[in-house]
Amino acid sequence: MAHFNEEIKTTKLSFNANVEEFKFPNGAIGLRDVLIAEGPGKLIGIMGASGAGKTTLLLTLAGLEKPSKGEILINGFDIHNEKDKIQGVIGFVSQDDLLIEELTVYQNLYYNAKLCFATFTEAQLHERVMATLENLGLDQRKDLTVGSVLDKKISGGQRKRLNIALELIREPAILFLDEPTSGLSSRDSENVIDLLKELSLKGKLIFVVIHQPSSDIYKMFDKMVIMDTGGYPAYYGAPVEAVSYFKKATHQVDSNRGQCETCGNVNPEQIFNIIEAKVVDEYGQPTNKRKVTPPQWHDKYKERFKINRIEDVKEEPPSTLNIPSRFKQTAIFATRDFLSKLSNKQYLLINLLEAPLLAAILAFIIKYKSAPGGKEYIFRFNDNFPAFLLMSIIVALFMGLTVSAEEIIRDRKILKRESFLNLSWNSYLISKLAILFLLSAIQTLTFVIIGNVILEIHGMTFAFWFVLFTTSCLANVLGLNISSAFNSAVTVYVMIPLLLIPQMILSGLLFNFDKLNGIIATKGKVPVVADLMTSRWAYEAMATYQFKNNDYEATLFKYEKEEAKADFKAAYLADELKKRNLFVLENFESKNDSLKKLVAMNLSIIDDNLKNEPFRMGFEKIDLSNALDPKNYSKAVGALLNNYFEEYRKYYQKIYNENVSLIEKRMAFDEKNGVNINHEKNKYYNESLADLVKNITTKERLLEYKGKLIQQINPIFQETNPSNVMDYRTAFFLPQKNLAGINVDTYWFNLLVIWMMALLLYIALYFEWLRNLIDLFGKVNIPNKVTIPFKRK
Amino acid sequence: MRVFLISLLALFLTACGSGKKPDEQAFLNSLDSVKSGPTIDEEVINSILQQIPSPLEISVLLKESGTKYNAGMLNTPDNLPKYNSNYKKALNLGVFGTDLGYTNIYEQNQDGIKYLSSIKSLADGLNIGQFFDIETIGRLATNSKNLDSLLLITTQNFNSINHYLQTQSRANLSVLLLIGGWVEAMQITCQVAAKDMKNKELQEKIGEQKIILEQIVLLLSFYKDDANMASLLNDMNELKVAFDKINITYTYKESTMEIIDGVAVIKDNSSTTINVTNEDIEAIRTLTNSIRNKIIG
Repeated sequence: MAHFNEEIKTTKLSFNANVEEFKFPNGAIGLRDVLIAEGPGKLIGIMGASGAGKTTLLLTLAGLEKPSKGEILINGFDIHNEKDKIQGVIGFVSQDDLLIEELTVYQNLYYNAKLCFATFTEAQLHERVMATLENLGLDQRKDLTVGSVLDKKISGGQRKRLNIALELIREPAILFLDEPTSGLSSRDSENVIDLLKELSLKGKLIFVVIHQPSSDIYKMFDKMVIMDTGGYPAYYGAPVEAVSYFKKATHQVDSNRGQCETCGNVNPEQIFNIIEAKVVDEYGQPTNKRKVTPPQWHDKYKERFKINRIEDVKEEPPSTLNIPSRFKQTAIFATRDFLSKLSNKQYLLINLLEAPLLAAILAFIIKYKSAPGGKEYIFRFNDNFPAFLLMSIIVALFMGLTVSAEEIIRDRKILKRESFLNLSWNSYLISKLAILFLLSAIQTLTFVIIGNVILEIHGMTFAFWFVLFTTSCLANVLGLNISSAFNSAVTVYVMIPLLLIPQMILSGLLFNFDKLNGIIATKGKVPVVADLMTSRWAYEAMATYQFKNNDYEATLFKYEKEEAKADFKAAYLADELKKRNLFVLENFESKNDSLKKLVAMNLSIIDDNLKNEPFRMGFEKIDLSNALDPKNYSKAVGALLNNYFEEYRKYYQKIYNENVSLIEKRMAFDEKNGVNINHEKNKYYNESLADLVKNITTKERLLEYKGKLIQQINPIFQETNPSNVMDYRTAFFLPQKNLAGINVDTYWFNLLVIWMMALLLYIALYFEWLRNLIDLFGKVNIPNKVTIPFKRK
Repeated sequence: MRVFLISLLALFLTACGSGKKPDEQAFLNSLDSVKSGPTIDEEVINSILQQIPSPLEISVLLKESGTKYNAGMLNTPDNLPKYNSNYKKALNLGVFGTDLGYTNIYEQNQDGIKYLSSIKSLADGLNIGQFFDIETIGRLATNSKNLDSLLLITTQNFNSINHYLQTQSRANLSVLLLIGGWVEAMQITCQVAAKDMKNKELQEKIGEQKIILEQIVLLLSFYKDDANMASLLNDMNELKVAFDKINITYTYKESTMEIIDGVAVIKDNSSTTINVTNEDIEAIRTLTNSIRNKIIG
């Protein structure tokens, strides 16, 4: 006893709570005028009728809810405004289970301890964990998995004790417990309260919400706070005296006898019988009206209890908490999460088998005897290949989303408990992402390998994997965002189609970007809405990479690109520009306003196309832009241009033919060196994909849109034409993109875009933008008055 | 689990193994040794090209002679994937053109559709796909009644393609297109003629081709620098030797004018006699067949 007393003296603690008013978000008042002032070494009970605000009071005292008026001071430090000063002082055991169900009893405590005591060695940690387990009588159960509520491995009492142990292990100076005895047997209940009493004797200040305590338990409290309906405090003082106070207040007989004189039992039920006593009508039936209303009890309370604020201790409250560095936290979180996932065999099996299984199903179904004549499967003629690419992206997105969508929701309770530790949110998120990325890497790798093996896609394993991995990672971050924003898993799963379907619509494969609603579409450029879609970037990356870098095309691409460019200029652009020049030549002197406009537009189109033209025969010394100004245009310029276009056409015909012959020669050269071109093409090249990236089905190869000529055919062989340094937009399937003035391969550019999106989503996740946004909507009051659609009499 | 991971890794590594094509530098070095030949006068070629009649005419003759449709004589569209170089694409575009015409004349629409899609695909490969509006073709193809117009369009397209290639300085393709078509038509005619040695009309038609072959040899001789074209020229020269045995005599008679139904008509009284023996036909047939097999192989 002397030992305990000594400790009380050394614990410097003052707790002053003055909650003048607490309002719920819907405006109802939850607490009024609650004053609590305590020092160290007390076990305080909180009782009240259901709905009286017991839990609200506890949450407010613990700083989890902020009173609308009033303050809570620990050693003079405001619980809300000076959080850093009281870090680790508060412990809170909620009514819910806050256990990681997949881990063992020992592991639950061990990782919790590891997050609290950075300086401890492994041996010290083990000792601490074992000591706590012994204290709570859980040492025999330490290697049992906790299990879910439905699949119980340890008893309810043990779960409760483990919940308490998780808080006790770091020995907070003030401990709050919400109904720690609910659902426990009377023996278990008594054990728990015994333990709390012992702790209070060691100098802790403990608040316990308690419901229907037995007499023994009731008497163990140092003080009792009794709340009445509507958040009115009705009593604050020694527990046994409560009975006599209420008896006296209602002028009952034997009012000074608080407990049974013979057996010493107290019946706490009595208190509520008195508080809530009903007025009896003339027939002896109790009515709904109370004899003494809550405000009346409150008035009496105000007369009787003069609570004096206790003097604030002028030093920081004692805390044993020493949280590890952010990096270490990440490692601890990750290990804990990893272990819990590893022990969940179902989860592991499904997540690891999902990808190869989907790949096998998908690839198996779309593999058909594609060779002309239908005798065998040849990759080159698999018409399903472009769709396979889209499906693999959708699978990557889907797997990424589903695997992450529940992560934070599941952890939310644990996060709430750990919020007292002031752990790093960033570390937590990084640990989540590390594990999810690892899982995504494995999933997408197995998917790509199985898919590529079955469909005989050669030489693309790494390239495809990296795109799908990137896509899946983005989906992981997106999933965490919705997981942190919504409160239930069901909502999250309803969200998934909402996120995925637009990805499918705007992937660029299902619906042609040129054939979308005019409000969003821009001819010759991927619409901006589509730029928000990961699928579009991933698809373009995979398609252009496969076309450009497959072993067959890789050596020919350069020449085919020059060939296609020259062909376009010689076969289409030359005629088109010539036609426009002739029109200008005919009409440039006209006075007609609409003709003038057309002339100006045609001149601007000609200028636009010749601005960066390297072939300048006949124009070497002329400032073309100047000559093409409607004011300066003359017959001479027109004639010059007319000749020029003829030369231009011939020049590009020559380049075209040169490249064609180079391709022929390259093929002949390879054949001579023992390469079977046809065999190579069958193995690496896909006709369907080639048709897609060459856009050969387009009806108009060249079209005019908003005063520009747009090449529709062969996007894969086009050059970027940025209007300014930051202009990244191009048509779909261009082989390169403009990144701040540098031409970057579409593959790498697109991957960079997806990683940037992921980074942005991570920032949104870190600051919980989505959650805040949804909270904002939540604050909009929806009137919940029920109008009855029936006629009243 | 470990075995799983190791096998996964092994798969990953083997999946990465790539082909063993010679590198770019080796190719560029090989180019330096080849000198480009003298430029060819496109106009001369174009004027010769225009004198050569369409090989489709032969098909008409076949049907009139009462021979039955035989798809086995044609090149199968399943060969399409074999044609990767422009040389092969152009030759076989011609071959398929003739085959399409043959199916058209015999109203074998099912087969015709297959040739159409092969033609479209080859044309795309040669950057002349714009002459085939795949949407119109597709729409017409859904209704068998439209097939006639579909095939007509395609035949007309062949003429436009020839013209277009000539304006684009790509007459070499036009030459190949024509030779492909001609060889295929010859091949079909020879096969029919070999079976029916009594059909003198057919034999004479084959003999008449002597004149066209001379022009083809002349055309090909312009492109001797191209290895492919040179080898084709060799084959054609061999064929020409076989044709040289055929005598074509042209007897000139004064033209006369007659009045028929009140319209003055000039009557050509000159006549051409073609002396073809069965042995000639057999020799030509064998040679044509071997050339044709080289082309479609």
